[in-house]
Amino acid sequence: MARNLSRRSFLKGGAAAAATLAASPLVLPQAVQAATGQELCTVLDLSKCIGCESCVDACREQWQDTVLVPQGPMPKPFPERVPIEDWSKKKDVQDRLTPYNFLYIEMLEIDYKGESRELNIPRRCMHCLNPPCVDLCPFGASRVEKNGVVHIDSEICLGGAKCRKVCPWHIPQRQSGVGIYLDLMPTLAGNGVMFKCHRCLPLVKEGKQPRCVEVCPEHVQSIGPRSQMLKKAEALARQMAKKDGAGEDKWKDYVYGLEENGGTSTIYVSPIPFAVVAKAIDKQHREIKQEEIARVAKKNPKKAKRMKKSNLGRPHMHRVADAMANAENLTYALALAPVAGVVAGFTKLFSKLNHTPSSEASSGQDKGGQA
Amino acid sequence: MSKYDYSPGGRTFYWVYYLTLVVIAFSGMGQMPILKRYYIADLPLMTWSANFYTVAWLHYLVVALLLALLAWRFTLNSRIPGKVAWAWGPRSWWGWTLLAILFCSGVIKVFKNLGVYFPPSFLVVNDLIHIGSTMAFMISGLVRLFLKGKQPAIG
Repeated sequence: MARNLSRRSFLKGGAAAAATLAASPLVLPQAVQAATGQELCTVLDLSKCIGCESCVDACREQWQDTVLVPQGPMPKPFPERVPIEDWSKKKDVQDRLTPYNFLYIEMLEIDYKGESRELNIPRRCMHCLNPPCVDLCPFGASRVEKNGVVHIDSEICLGGAKCRKVCPWHIPQRQSGVGIYLDLMPTLAGNGVMFKCHRCLPLVKEGKQPRCVEVCPEHVQSIGPRSQMLKKAEALARQMAKKDGAGEDKWKDYVYGLEENGGTSTIYVSPIPFAVVAKAIDKQHREIKQEEIARVAKKNPKKAKRMKKSNLGRPHMHRVADAMANAENLTYALALAPVAGVVAGFTKLFSKLNHTPSSEASSGQDKGGQA
Repeated sequence: MSKYDYSPGGRTFYWVYYLTLVVIAFSGMGQMPILKRYYIADLPLMTWSANFYTVAWLHYLVVALLLALLAWRFTLNSRIPGKVAWAWGPRSWWGWTLLAILFCSGVIKVFKNLGVYFPPSFLVVNDLIHIGSTMAFMISGLVRLFLKGKQPAIG
């Protein structure tokens, strides 16, 4: 499946060329990574997932102990409205994303074409191609690797949760009371460390497969070079569209993650169109939230009120536009601004009014004020 | 004409420059998750500042305005006989150096936002340089303002 040459890819190409000229050992454009097959992508065939949670268990076994645990009393943040998020005593939770649970299975019962269908969806970080969590992290704690893995460096993350807010799926989860912020200004700035799936980066670096891919008894997930995986996802989606009676040309309705947020490295293929899946997920999440709020309201009505806006740790599956698309247009603005300034300058220089310092001083015009 | 008062375009350009710096500093600081935490976003007409995307795009726009202003100044300067002291803009090699560092580190961040790959550790250093030089630029300006009283010059 060929990538379309968009304005963004053109800009990226130009930017890459400039950067390579300036510092060739330092940079490598994503397009080149894809071409050299270094960028890895996963495809999830949801028709195979039986919801056994082997992947969830393997992920937890491998990585849960690497997540920091608060030692001693947690600093009280200022102002008081800054929420403390402590999952260290709820490590057993595995039906949502938490700092100690990078992957969960969304188990759905969907009424589709007059029958009830079961669909299980492993949910974790989508590993976007141009992740806003990486672009907008002010300290570079959120990172993207050459192989397409998006991960958070827990050694420098301050836990401000900006990555969660800008993530279209609100994936990263915060553990308060841990991390470098404790050594800086624990009351006034920071609030822990953000954690999320790193697609088993240390294992992948050794040439191994991510645990969730490796242990799956149904081979739901496959991982490989992006170009190959895109072909695989398209072929699978065409089959599913045909089987569903929708026509092969509607295959993109059965794919999720291919174009979401400008493209991701996690591509789901479902036997049910994702428009239907997204609605079913919304309905399920509403019910779960209402239950949680009702349960908390019995003990603490104030907390229950705050929960209406709180993060559920369960991502949606709606179509997502490219969150960083504006960066492209504004880059044009940045490039054109100096040109506009130069043109305006020359216009002034060659205008009939001859603006020289002496003429301005003598006329008393164009004189800057003093604060 | 006093030492620092050459300002073709008059007071408008003078104030546009300083307002641009203030908005750049605000939108730059707003990249850190502090505006909501410290109730700035709760102030009347400031709700937008809780949206990180809005703040980021505002940063781009005001930086574009600053670049246009500086390009305009360089163009006029190229045709002015002898040395003149502008009423706005950095007034020392230190100020211009900081501005150049901010520009270079900012360009790298712009490329990163387009999806160009840079090694993560390089980006951490770049982010720290961008934040550090901003702080130095602001502190230099404030120190000069308070020490010299009359001149709110940056750098």
